[in-house]
Amino acid sequence: MNEQIEDKDLSRRQFLRMAARASAIATAAVMFPGIVFAEEQERMIEKLGAIDVKWTKTPCRFCGVGCGLKVGISDGKAVAVKGDPNSSVNKGLCCVKGYHSILALYGNDRLTKPLIRKNGKLVESTMEEALDLVASKLRNTIAESGKDSVSIYGSGQWTIPDGYVASKLFKGAIGTNNVEANARLCMASAVTGFLSSFGLDEPMGCYEDIDHADVFVLWGNNMAEMHPVLFSRILDNRLKRSVKIIDLATRTTRTSHAADKSILFNPQTDLAIANAICYEIVKNRWVNTSFVEKHCVLKEGKTNIGYGLEENFQFNDEAKSIDFETYETFLEDYSPEKVAAYSGVSAKDIKYLASLYGNPNNKVMSLWCMGPNQHTRGTWINNLIYNIHLLTGKISTPGNSPFSLTGQPSACGTVREVGTLTHKLPHGVVMNEKDREMAAEIWKVPVENIPSKPTHHTVSMFRALDRGDIRFMWIQVTNPMVTMPHLNRYRNGAKKDDRFIVVSDVYPTPTTDIADVVLPSAMWIEREGMYGNSERRTQHFNQLLQPPGEAMSDTWQLIEVARRLGFKEQFPWDESTHIEEIWKEYSRFHVGKKHGMAPYEVLKSQAGAQWPYVEGKETKWRYHGKYDPACKGDTFDFYGKPDGKAWIWARPYEPAPEIPDSDYPFWLCTGRVLEHWHTGSMTRRVPILHQAVPKSYVELNPEDAKRLDIRNGDQVKLISRRGEIVMDASVDQRGKPVSGHVFVPFFDESYLINELTLDAYCPISKQPDYKKCAVRIEKI
Amino acid sequence: MKGKAIIFFGILLMISAIVIFDLSIRQSNVSASVVTADVADVVPTTMLESEVFSLQDLAYEFKELESIGSEKTLADYYKNRAYDGAPPRIPHPLLNEKGIGGKSCLQCHSNGGYVDRFKAFAPITPHPDFLNCNQCHVPKKTNNLFVASDFKRSAPKHIGSGVLDGSPPPIPHDFQVRGSCLSCHGAPSAAKEIRVNHPERVNCLQCHAPTNNRQITWERKSTEEEGGME
Repeated sequence: MNEQIEDKDLSRRQFLRMAARASAIATAAVMFPGIVFAEEQERMIEKLGAIDVKWTKTPCRFCGVGCGLKVGISDGKAVAVKGDPNSSVNKGLCCVKGYHSILALYGNDRLTKPLIRKNGKLVESTMEEALDLVASKLRNTIAESGKDSVSIYGSGQWTIPDGYVASKLFKGAIGTNNVEANARLCMASAVTGFLSSFGLDEPMGCYEDIDHADVFVLWGNNMAEMHPVLFSRILDNRLKRSVKIIDLATRTTRTSHAADKSILFNPQTDLAIANAICYEIVKNRWVNTSFVEKHCVLKEGKTNIGYGLEENFQFNDEAKSIDFETYETFLEDYSPEKVAAYSGVSAKDIKYLASLYGNPNNKVMSLWCMGPNQHTRGTWINNLIYNIHLLTGKISTPGNSPFSLTGQPSACGTVREVGTLTHKLPHGVVMNEKDREMAAEIWKVPVENIPSKPTHHTVSMFRALDRGDIRFMWIQVTNPMVTMPHLNRYRNGAKKDDRFIVVSDVYPTPTTDIADVVLPSAMWIEREGMYGNSERRTQHFNQLLQPPGEAMSDTWQLIEVARRLGFKEQFPWDESTHIEEIWKEYSRFHVGKKHGMAPYEVLKSQAGAQWPYVEGKETKWRYHGKYDPACKGDTFDFYGKPDGKAWIWARPYEPAPEIPDSDYPFWLCTGRVLEHWHTGSMTRRVPILHQAVPKSYVELNPEDAKRLDIRNGDQVKLISRRGEIVMDASVDQRGKPVSGHVFVPFFDESYLINELTLDAYCPISKQPDYKKCAVRIEKI
Repeated sequence: MKGKAIIFFGILLMISAIVIFDLSIRQSNVSASVVTADVADVVPTTMLESEVFSLQDLAYEFKELESIGSEKTLADYYKNRAYDGAPPRIPHPLLNEKGIGGKSCLQCHSNGGYVDRFKAFAPITPHPDFLNCNQCHVPKKTNNLFVASDFKRSAPKHIGSGVLDGSPPPIPHDFQVRGSCLSCHGAPSAAKEIRVNHPERVNCLQCHAPTNNRQITWERKSTEEEGGME
């Protein structure tokens, strides 16, 4: 693109000069055969390496690992990818999705024009008309049904500026806390886990812990497929300095085969196993007493807290201080022998796990993602893993790291740091008056505009849409009509007559199918933006490509609508510099040693920067004075809590809400595969990825399959209390569920497994559990 | 005599007891030591120039196999990749969907060899240290597409032309993940056009100069100039 423009600008004078030089070289070559001039040599070398390709850094579009890529651009198109050797995240290595990520830009059915539903059909329109319609619908709905009848539902794939502008428009300018994002479905329990244990969100450690740890315990995390680049880093360490990998899971996967030991447990009993590990640590006097005395306090919360299945379910946890003796008594119920009886893990294995954590010479890294997070006791299991690290003092130092991984490129950067959740603000929460005042000042809105009460979390928001309390929803960069649990109910709700749904996306999806207005979005490197990955690293990318047709960035769509609503003062930015200006405004929320953000110029020049970014330096480990400038003193300081102490929680085992019985005898677990990302709207348009895993399937245990007379490839019907689906059986292929379990990947919009899943959620985090419900299997 | 022998054995026993005791102390010391080195710098993830000499043990074997290489061409090579530099697809059915590295793929792809079933030489991976093979290499289960793709790959690189007539051609690609020259240019599985007739000369960089490395240095300097598009 740039080269074409330059070609046109080639002046006559330059042309003559080049022509003269070329003819001189040609003449000389005739006179002295065999001589090659330097310039011609250069040209030949350039011809050898494809030097017309310009390589530029960007974070990967897909998962939360946030690999650094170099994208090759030639003639205005992305033509190649390699790993960025300058990125400390992946050091030049990618996975198959990353290497082929640029192909996701070029699906033949890219949305290039806005669509408006007229007489029941989506018809092409202009951006002007579509944005006008969105603005007028917003205005009218607010006038008729109040501010809390409009909502925005975004995503962990929102760039930081997208989420910031969305929050500013809805919370600040319009004045409703109806702001949510799909990260509620994947990261909310990690957030509440961090907040309840440490008072501040996001990991204390970083990926470099992998190069220091001696033992890796993976809690319900098929890292070989879901975080392959980091898993390869672990394997690399094992080759070079013999580390141990323990796969603690409910299903045998590639990760189990690679691990030194695979331990399988019954769903939901991770709560009991974590407590049993703590029991052993206490019993064997492996507790780091001085650490616990100086840096920890013990708490208990409410029990029997429900599952959020009732309409208008409400829950607030309450923390009560307890002493160590009370905690020890609490642990009495979790001796390895007692836990072995219902967890399916032998007492020997539990003791082995405890000894790995308890051995003072081991540096231990625990890694987890959706297993503990998509869990009706998600907050609890996050707390319990932290307990193990706190009791042994294995935290906040290189290689000692409880590490919560993320699944989306900016679940941390946007949803958690900008705070695009109903209770959050870019700094703090809506319930706090000081936080509201700060937001009002930076946003230039009256402080009364920002309501002090949170409204709906995601499941509740879609229930409100179904009921009619919410009548307008703008959905950006996510595909809830594939991903909502108990999908039938929420799809029917969204389709009701007087609901108005706006969807910004890059391809047609089941969600654009139900939209009243579809806005074509500019994707990834077709616009400028930033993502924030799992290790607190903010990564900037330039606009490298022209978006197709009328496609427009989500940030700019929101700004256009905000201006139409009369908020010109709050959204004053120029199109050419708006990302820089938004970054500068947003950074004001995080000023200080605890969350300082790197300046725009730094982000532009290097492969990401980790916050807290203080006086030109990144912080790799938080809460330890040696590494974190926000700490008082030169040792541990958990400054997220007022007393500087981390909280060890007594959290019990409580069963799952729906357990297999004689009518529905199998556990259903859903998840991803390596080749596809989320609902597959991008990866399925990449030929090599689609051809590797062309459709979804149900994995069965070989013995169950034999008993039911089902062979690999046979069609089977899965039935839950909420829906049914017919799909191919996969027996003894990639993964092997335990007997009595089945596993289904959710990427395929032709097999909507979420019509079967249950919309029960963790009462504290409000994150649904996609890993556990009961189904029946019938052979067809 | 008898007494001396007893004393001798006694001393021997004492010495061995001391040695064993010492050894066990040393061993327990090792397990209790704390690794303080900055491991992060010691463990690079992608291989660079240092890998050039790998596979040199096989160089003479490759030389002997010179006349019986496979019929694979560069066209076949590119057909199996989305673009030049992309990880190749696995062109055969997977023997084992669950396998990791040494337990499956590397059985054939670490040292190569002729596979009767596929009538071909198994390509040798230039990066045998990466064990999670399916992280980048995936099989093909269908010829269909979900949606047609408008992606256009750029033309492959020119090969074989030295700057001067007969001079050694420079290396047109970088070393990232493919630093082991012999695996793609010496083994009998190599594409005909890029297989060398002198695999025994293992110091490849002595004559073949990397060109793309120039590009990397140039890139780093220019990152600040990379403005967004207007």
